[in-house]
Amino acid sequence: MTAIAASQQSRLGRVMKAIGILPVVLIITCILLALYEPRFLRTSNLINVLRNASFLAIISAGQMLVIIVGGFDISVGAIVALTSVSTALSMVGLSTIGIESAPLIVLLGCLAGLVPALVVGIVNGFFVSVMKISPFMVTIGTMTMAAGIAGYVTGGTPIYDMPELFTREIGRGRFLELPYIVYAAAIVLLALWYMQTQTRLGRYFYAVGGNEKASRLSGLNTRKYIWLAYILSALLAGIVGIFLTARVGSGEATLGSTLMLESISVAVIGGVALKGGVGRIQMVALSAIFLSVLSNGMSLARIDSKNHIIIIGLVIIIAVAAESYRENRRSRHV
Amino acid sequence: MSEKTQAYGIDLRAVAPHLLLPLAILGVVAVFAMLQPAMLSADNAVNIMKQSSLFFFVACAQLVVIITRGFDLSVGATVSLVSVASSMAMTALLPSIGAGASIFVGVVLGLLIGAAIGAVNGALVAFGRINPFVVTLATMSVFTGVATTISGGFPIFNLPDAFTFAFNQMTILLLPIPLVIAGLVAFALHFSLTRTVHGRVLYVLGDSNEVAHVGGRRVKEHLFLAYVTSGVLASVAGLLMTAQTGSGEPNLGTSLVLSSIAAAVIGGASLRGGTGGISAPVYGSLLIVCLSIGMNLQQINGSLQPVVIGAILVFGAALDAYRTKSR
Amino acid sequence: MNATSTGPGEVISPGTPLVEISHLDKSYGAFKALEDMQFELRAGEVHVLFGENGAGKSTLIQIICGVQNYDSGEYRLFGETLTGLTPAVAHEKGVSIVFQEFSLIPEMTVEENLFLGHEITGGWRLAKSAMRAKVQSVLNRLGFKLDPAARVSTLRRAHQQMVEIAKALLWDCRVLILDEPTASLTDQEAAQLFDIIEQLRDEGLGIIYVSHRMPEITRLADRITVLRDGKYITTVNQADTSEKELVQLMTGRSFDSFFPQIARNPGETVLTFEDVTLQSGHAKNLSFSVRRGEVLGFAGLAGCGKSEVLRAAFGLEKIATGRITANGVALEKHNPRKALSSRICYFPSDRSTEGLAMHQSLTFNSTIAALDDPVFSRRKTLLNRRAERGFTEKMIDKLKIRTPGLTAKADQLSGGNKQKLMIARGLSREFDVFLFDEPTVGVDIQAKLEIYDVIKTLTEEGKAVVIASSELAEVMHMSHRVIVMREGRIVGELDGEAVTESAVLSHFFDHDNKSQAEEQHAS
Repeated sequence: MTAIAASQQSRLGRVMKAIGILPVVLIITCILLALYEPRFLRTSNLINVLRNASFLAIISAGQMLVIIVGGFDISVGAIVALTSVSTALSMVGLSTIGIESAPLIVLLGCLAGLVPALVVGIVNGFFVSVMKISPFMVTIGTMTMAAGIAGYVTGGTPIYDMPELFTREIGRGRFLELPYIVYAAAIVLLALWYMQTQTRLGRYFYAVGGNEKASRLSGLNTRKYIWLAYILSALLAGIVGIFLTARVGSGEATLGSTLMLESISVAVIGGVALKGGVGRIQMVALSAIFLSVLSNGMSLARIDSKNHIIIIGLVIIIAVAAESYRENRRSRHV
Repeated sequence: MSEKTQAYGIDLRAVAPHLLLPLAILGVVAVFAMLQPAMLSADNAVNIMKQSSLFFFVACAQLVVIITRGFDLSVGATVSLVSVASSMAMTALLPSIGAGASIFVGVVLGLLIGAAIGAVNGALVAFGRINPFVVTLATMSVFTGVATTISGGFPIFNLPDAFTFAFNQMTILLLPIPLVIAGLVAFALHFSLTRTVHGRVLYVLGDSNEVAHVGGRRVKEHLFLAYVTSGVLASVAGLLMTAQTGSGEPNLGTSLVLSSIAAAVIGGASLRGGTGGISAPVYGSLLIVCLSIGMNLQQINGSLQPVVIGAILVFGAALDAYRTKSR
Repeated sequence: MNATSTGPGEVISPGTPLVEISHLDKSYGAFKALEDMQFELRAGEVHVLFGENGAGKSTLIQIICGVQNYDSGEYRLFGETLTGLTPAVAHEKGVSIVFQEFSLIPEMTVEENLFLGHEITGGWRLAKSAMRAKVQSVLNRLGFKLDPAARVSTLRRAHQQMVEIAKALLWDCRVLILDEPTASLTDQEAAQLFDIIEQLRDEGLGIIYVSHRMPEITRLADRITVLRDGKYITTVNQADTSEKELVQLMTGRSFDSFFPQIARNPGETVLTFEDVTLQSGHAKNLSFSVRRGEVLGFAGLAGCGKSEVLRAAFGLEKIATGRITANGVALEKHNPRKALSSRICYFPSDRSTEGLAMHQSLTFNSTIAALDDPVFSRRKTLLNRRAERGFTEKMIDKLKIRTPGLTAKADQLSGGNKQKLMIARGLSREFDVFLFDEPTVGVDIQAKLEIYDVIKTLTEEGKAVVIASSELAEVMHMSHRVIVMREGRIVGELDGEAVTESAVLSHFFDHDNKSQAEEQHAS
């Protein structure tokens, strides 16, 4: 870099480099939407956006962890479906065997519902970290298996008869005007932020993804951390599954079908590098909001929901191309 | 190699890997034949051959890019879009220019669409240097969406009879036409992979792009061509599958992606790139199809079939990891 | 584990054995890496491990620091017999190592890297200010001017190496292992490092220093252990030996008869560089010419830019200014494809990532650069596989490539045979210029001699040969002309009789240290 170029890297330039272009794009999108579609700013609409962003943020946070350690989790969508079905079945089963207390049914049901998610996470983690099989292959395999099992168990029909505490209070209830999922998302995001910036675990995820060999030489048990990432991803997907089930009001084997793609999109757009070792929860959260705003905008503009996927695909390409361009420019200077 | 494996003049260790797949296929057929005698009927055999042929093309499409250490997640989307677009073209043109010409236009359009999608993938992967997984994931969503949009989400009926006859029911020397076409494509692909400079470079690319570059090969162009080939092969699958179902379907290819990768990998192509020949999609598609048809005959629940395929996929990947452990 | 008390607490008197290895064997599959190895490190000494590539130095230090285990024999660390040592345990006991290869996390900062695996925590929380303070004090003590918050990927390789060294010295250690640590450092930075090493030695540490650079060995070593082909040869005191003797011990041959005599018949100029500067900045203002019938050598420390010069000649490095001319034709928008058709052949320094397709067959690799040649393909598309096989067989014979069979894959060959396989492509079509980039790295002695023979044959046939090598003896004795580079520039050109070790070395170091180097070399 010449002397002139160096001095041109102003304070603004450095700030931009740190936070990237996403916040700017988000703000511009919001402004444009507010101008062209006044319905965007209606409270009920904004709450909708926030709600969708919350679901996205939680599941994308799990995807982020897996991508950071150098893999992918294709099974998150299927885990949502599987959790939905198992939660519903558990709750129905619990009330059938005579348990009457609704809070107890809900609590036990949710815990039982998370068990399959945990199992999938453990299986994924095992095959990727211990057997060293391509994460892509493993998670696609577990995805088909989880989706298949969910479909088989429900026989194609939704599962009803869950306690109203669950479907009405948690699913559609609000605290201080905001749906409970928003608080759940806030807790998850905060916890992850703390983990990434203030704990050893957070650093170790980055290290394992950044240079596995060097991490091992530094004495890290890389297998453990890779395994853990897949378990966390599965559990977070499971949590989304529970809340979605509460909202929808029934256990559905088709729930979450678009979430896999969306979680990867959010992660990629949120600056999580596909090569691993890079990714911050703050940017993923922003990205989740962005994608939610984008979807909302497309709906308001009366673009058919079937076409949303086209726009999202294009956005992914642009985001990844930009990252690739930045990477190539950087490596040329080395 | 120890003397123990050199029994009867045949080196068992060298031959064994090649026997594994044919034996597995025979094993699957045998197991289902015991449960359902219909498995061995002549009709079923023809069915197996036809379905394998159709599936073979997507497995081939996958093979070509897997050799280069890539993926093509968009094969399913290509199949769907080609199905829809060519059907729409054929039905729209049928009244004005007659069956023959409209079929011709439909087929050409289908192949062009496959090539175009492949070109988009190829351009982004080879020239944009973007991870093939992400590129084809994105193009998969885009083109699936396009297929749904232009078809309105509904199947397209009333395809010219000649089309379904020519590409589905016709037989040449008692062999169903899809099988004949598959045979020709297998030969062409095998020839291209083993006897042409392009094929040679694809294998080298699977090991390392830099090695090919230092060797003076045009890396980007070869990679681009690989994805275009994949797109065209997927479009052939799309056309033949449309002829089989008798209608243009916007979701024709949705479940194909994973099985096509499973087929290629189980059949011997390694995800790490640089290995895999025509035997991979041949064996792989036969295995997957025999399993599917066997499960249908056994009336195994439709939701559970993917579970079996998924398990096969993981098993195949574990096998692949074991095979390449020394690498 | 408390971060600051990894040391034993007791004082160790100088001369006490810290590491004792006897009758140690280690094999990787069928390959015997170490056979009946012995080694002893004492407190308060710098003990150099000296040997060719493939002699076993890397394996030995990996065993000492717990990265590899061994098959049989005894390893005593601080008087205690050990089995099942892991890097974490070794580190805890006080063994620190600076690897030769890059072992940092690129996207993490300097301080995050320094503390990796041994962070200071208060409960669950990272004690960031405590760590920052400790990092600052270590950096100050070492005199390294590094920003602890800088991301490692943004640092120059030399600074990255400093981080790796600081990492090893962050914790109190009793044994320090350095594997070719000055590979990317400038003379000043290296001098700083030597001061620190001497200081640590005086404090009672035992230091294992792996190198084959005579100037460093002369400056630092107390004792030198020579390894060859996985076996222990001898241990000598630095004061009692000479470079000649060491190289003789290392190679097992008399120094003078090791390199072949190559006849020199300089012919027409086939390649010229006119004031070439690379876009990357790794080399500037290069002007020289390459002639038929003679060997041109490029000498210099690692990072001096000699590799990049060869790569630029082959079109692998972009040129910012200047001109490269081959056979009278200026090479614009140069790339390997163009270079090959301009009859220039390049053998990369990194076999496994640029030179050979490791999982492909010998045939694939031998003809990769000549696939368009009518001998190997019809109309540039259809392969003539019989011709390819014939050529490969001929090469296996001519270059004495030891292989399990014709259908073997490249990664089944040993280092020396891999190198020869790569060289086979040089004979697959007509070339005028051969560029050898570190031709004998990781190559056993037998193969080395065979490769030198190939170079001799090519040169005497009237080809133009260029060698870039970090091994001073090699580049000096193989070349008729030597160009010395330092920090990206050509600093000297020596011809024929003028190519002596002291002359070349005097260009390695800059003016101020020149007399010091000459002084050291006179001893």
